[in-house]
Amino acid sequence: MVLEIARKDFLTNLLSARFVIGFLLCLVLIPFSVLISVSQYRDRADQYRLDREAADRAATEVRVYSKVRPEIVLPPEPLSIFSKGISDQVGSRVKIRLGDKPMLAAGKTAAGDNPFLASFFSVDFADIAAIIFSLLALIFSYDALTREREDGTLRLQMSNSLGRSTYLAGKILGVLLTLLPVLVFSFLLCVVFILLSRDVSFTAAEWGRIALLFGASLLYLAVFVFIGLFVSSRSKTSVTSLVLCLFLWVLFVFLVPNAAANFAESFVRTDSRDNLDRVLSSLDEEFEEKTGQAQKAAGLPEGRGGWWMSWSDDGGLEIYGNSGADFDIDRRRSEISEPLRLQYADKRWALEQAYLASLARQARAAERLSFVSPAGVFRTIASALCATDLGAHENTLDRTRRYRETFVRWLEGKSIFSSFRWFTPTPPESFRTGDQLIELRTGGEFKTEREYWDWHARQKDKWAAWQKMGKVKVKGDESGDFPYLDLADMPRFPAVPLRLFSGLRESVLEAGLLLVEIVFLFGLGYAAFLRFDVR
Amino acid sequence: MLKTVFKREILHNLYSLRFLLSLALVLGVFAAGSFSFIGGRAVALEKYRQTMAAFTEGMKKDAAANATTLAVTLRTLVLRPRDNAFMDDAKEKYLPNAVTFSAWNVFGFENRSGSANPFLKKFDELNWSFIAALIASFVALLFTFDAVSGEKESRTLALALSNPVPRGTLLFAKYLSAVLSVMALLLAGVLLSLLIILVLDGTSLSPALAVEAAGFMAAATLLVSAMAAFGLLASVVAPNSNVSLLLALSFWLAFAVIIPNSSLAAAKTLFPIESSESVQKRIDAAFADLNKSAPPGSWMQNSSNPFLPQHKLRADLHMKRLRAEKAIRDDYDQAMFRQFERTRLLTALSPVSQFEYMAEAAAGGGYVRFRKAWSDLHAYQGRFLDFFLTLDAADKDSPHWLNPRENVSTTRKPTAFEKAPRFEEARMSFAERAAPALKFLIIGVFYSCAVFLLTFVLFVRYDVR
Repeated sequence: MVLEIARKDFLTNLLSARFVIGFLLCLVLIPFSVLISVSQYRDRADQYRLDREAADRAATEVRVYSKVRPEIVLPPEPLSIFSKGISDQVGSRVKIRLGDKPMLAAGKTAAGDNPFLASFFSVDFADIAAIIFSLLALIFSYDALTREREDGTLRLQMSNSLGRSTYLAGKILGVLLTLLPVLVFSFLLCVVFILLSRDVSFTAAEWGRIALLFGASLLYLAVFVFIGLFVSSRSKTSVTSLVLCLFLWVLFVFLVPNAAANFAESFVRTDSRDNLDRVLSSLDEEFEEKTGQAQKAAGLPEGRGGWWMSWSDDGGLEIYGNSGADFDIDRRRSEISEPLRLQYADKRWALEQAYLASLARQARAAERLSFVSPAGVFRTIASALCATDLGAHENTLDRTRRYRETFVRWLEGKSIFSSFRWFTPTPPESFRTGDQLIELRTGGEFKTEREYWDWHARQKDKWAAWQKMGKVKVKGDESGDFPYLDLADMPRFPAVPLRLFSGLRESVLEAGLLLVEIVFLFGLGYAAFLRFDVR
Repeated sequence: MLKTVFKREILHNLYSLRFLLSLALVLGVFAAGSFSFIGGRAVALEKYRQTMAAFTEGMKKDAAANATTLAVTLRTLVLRPRDNAFMDDAKEKYLPNAVTFSAWNVFGFENRSGSANPFLKKFDELNWSFIAALIASFVALLFTFDAVSGEKESRTLALALSNPVPRGTLLFAKYLSAVLSVMALLLAGVLLSLLIILVLDGTSLSPALAVEAAGFMAAATLLVSAMAAFGLLASVVAPNSNVSLLLALSFWLAFAVIIPNSSLAAAKTLFPIESSESVQKRIDAAFADLNKSAPPGSWMQNSSNPFLPQHKLRADLHMKRLRAEKAIRDDYDQAMFRQFERTRLLTALSPVSQFEYMAEAAAGGGYVRFRKAWSDLHAYQGRFLDFFLTLDAADKDSPHWLNPRENVSTTRKPTAFEKAPRFEEARMSFAERAAPALKFLIIGVFYSCAVFLLTFVLFVRYDVR
């Protein structure tokens, strides 16, 4: 009997105008969201390739260890086509530095090159699915009971020996059967678009996750079917039921998720970024001061001079053409400064970690508040399944921090901070004295440093005086005289393929929440229908 | 006749369940949004105060060092959290809100780190604008989707038209009553929100705020009129109220969800701009050319002797580099503005987007506020430079070799910070707000009239049986 009622409802719904329009809505909106998402994924993949090439080039074109700073470029997640989560807001490049642990990823976000575009929002499949599936579920269930009563057919059916439970089960099954093809069609449409797209390819685990997303969508759809049935069983007329359902739809799908984020932002405070930057900047000054003091205590002169020098941030230093004595001073300075730099990275990280924790606390509060709505739960599950949620991002950044530790251990294993190789590729055996260098560069015109500088002090045209030093090109005076470093033994950032069930523990609980909502709503609807006046 | 039909329609609306539900929803969201605004405002203002205190401290320190340091140091000016953001925050936390400048140039803009939590998925604030764009537009459709098809089903339409009521009058009365019902809801919400904010936040009701609120209500009226016209259109073209509901919801989804959320893809696909990497390459190439053609010794440095002749060469080189970079960056800034504005014009297909842009102008926020601040900051930079040049000209110990990057060959005497010009963001005038809103106003009025006219034509041919 249940099947017969379900079959009748299924066929009635199938032939109705609302099914046709609902189907058309899916036909337009699902491809729309997938096309936009695929195009955004393609943009991110192109940017990834460019960034990767630039990072690889920068990593290999170094001649000294102090300038080796690997940059990790994170590839875009193909599943972001289904739910982009926060993946397009957080950047994708992480520079490994000695003086700092990775805090946030840098690089372009969804806005790309124009920061104004960040004020434009975009929707993905999960957003469209949350809107459309809930709407269709309510449209097909709001009058499941009231319409039959208005037509008089409910009274007729109840006059037979048909149990109310059987009737309700048939109704539920009928609505679900009507919606199932729409859901399957929507997913198939996505799959076809993805298969046709040359820019996207999925692994088996990723296809598995899409299957799990289908399951989550089914649960989500069911929640709204039960909401519709409950409202229908408590309403006197179809119009009343419809109006109530539509208000619940707007409330759950549009208002609650926004309100949750609003309240979290207003009442769950985050630390001030400007304040953090100021404190970090004062730590940098403290580091410079301590380094200077330690170097002074070691009897090293202040200031740094050299024939050919190039600095970069985070202690990057490249020197050519110095005398052996000057090179040794530079070596001893680095021997003091670099371990101190690593210590200050830990100090910085304590502050950065607290800042990140406050950001994550606010985001998680918004997520939990949004669980008031099934749409909030569904979107959270979708982003976790697509590995674009905060948890996935935190895991990735944690891996980059672990990689930094490995990288630092690799450098320390070479005792590189106390080596000349830290800042110059010039082999120690070819070091010359200052006098030798002056003699070579001036073509023998000056024999000692003192002789040259005394003469220089007497000259009016300093530029012309300096030109004397360039008379003869000395091998080893320029970076081009040396090859790039061989970094074959440098540890690489390991790529970790997505596994089917990894990082989904919380999603199971959230899916459980949807199930509890279904059971609860079914209970309410069942109790209401038992007391439903069929006349 | 219009009065009688209008009275009947408006009473029908006011006594309906949908009105009661809408009222509860609108008042609830307005109240929630107002409390949320008050909750977050104190923190935002405190963060801003700290940032500006550091900014002022930096300027004071540089002025005490010397006037050239004050002039050449790059500073970042952050825009203040807006007092009337409860009306429309205009997505300012996602837009550029900080400008880097020195006395020599306004270098660029950025969205300051920490303006928005990157771990929190982008969302709309629960402000007046959001409520109007989402709820009022939805309620306007809800009041109209069955205005004709519903009456046809309940057979009251034929009865009504059996009286000497012109069809146009009936349709217009339905339209007017729906618009006024929704506006009454919005007005109630706006008054409640103002009450909460005035009492709890200590904001005073100034004439400027009243005018801004009036501007907002005018923009909202246009939105509600357009959506009500679309609702009536759905009601007239569909055979029954079920279908008209789905049609009306389709309109709403298209206007409130699809079109506004397609902006990013539309901007990148239809109005692409050069990549920032390519712009940087062009700047690097221009710098390389200038370096190549610079006289020998241009890069020679000796800060202890300001009159070293090479300082003049380097000052000239830096000035040329500044001009070359400025020309390229200014062009690129204009390309960004154009891309953003063209995308907005395209999305003005949606009455919801039109409303958002008009509400932004009424509140004096968002993009229009940034453009005003950007332009004012350029004028300020000119005054700042004049101030510095006057100081330098008066210093007999200065070589007067103007160098926009270095503190070497211009005055090295300290100056009083209080005498230096300061930038204060000016309020936007009526004309400055009206100008960017005008095109959206014209589109909005055209939309409402055209859709209503189409509905009227269809209703005249409508079979009421």
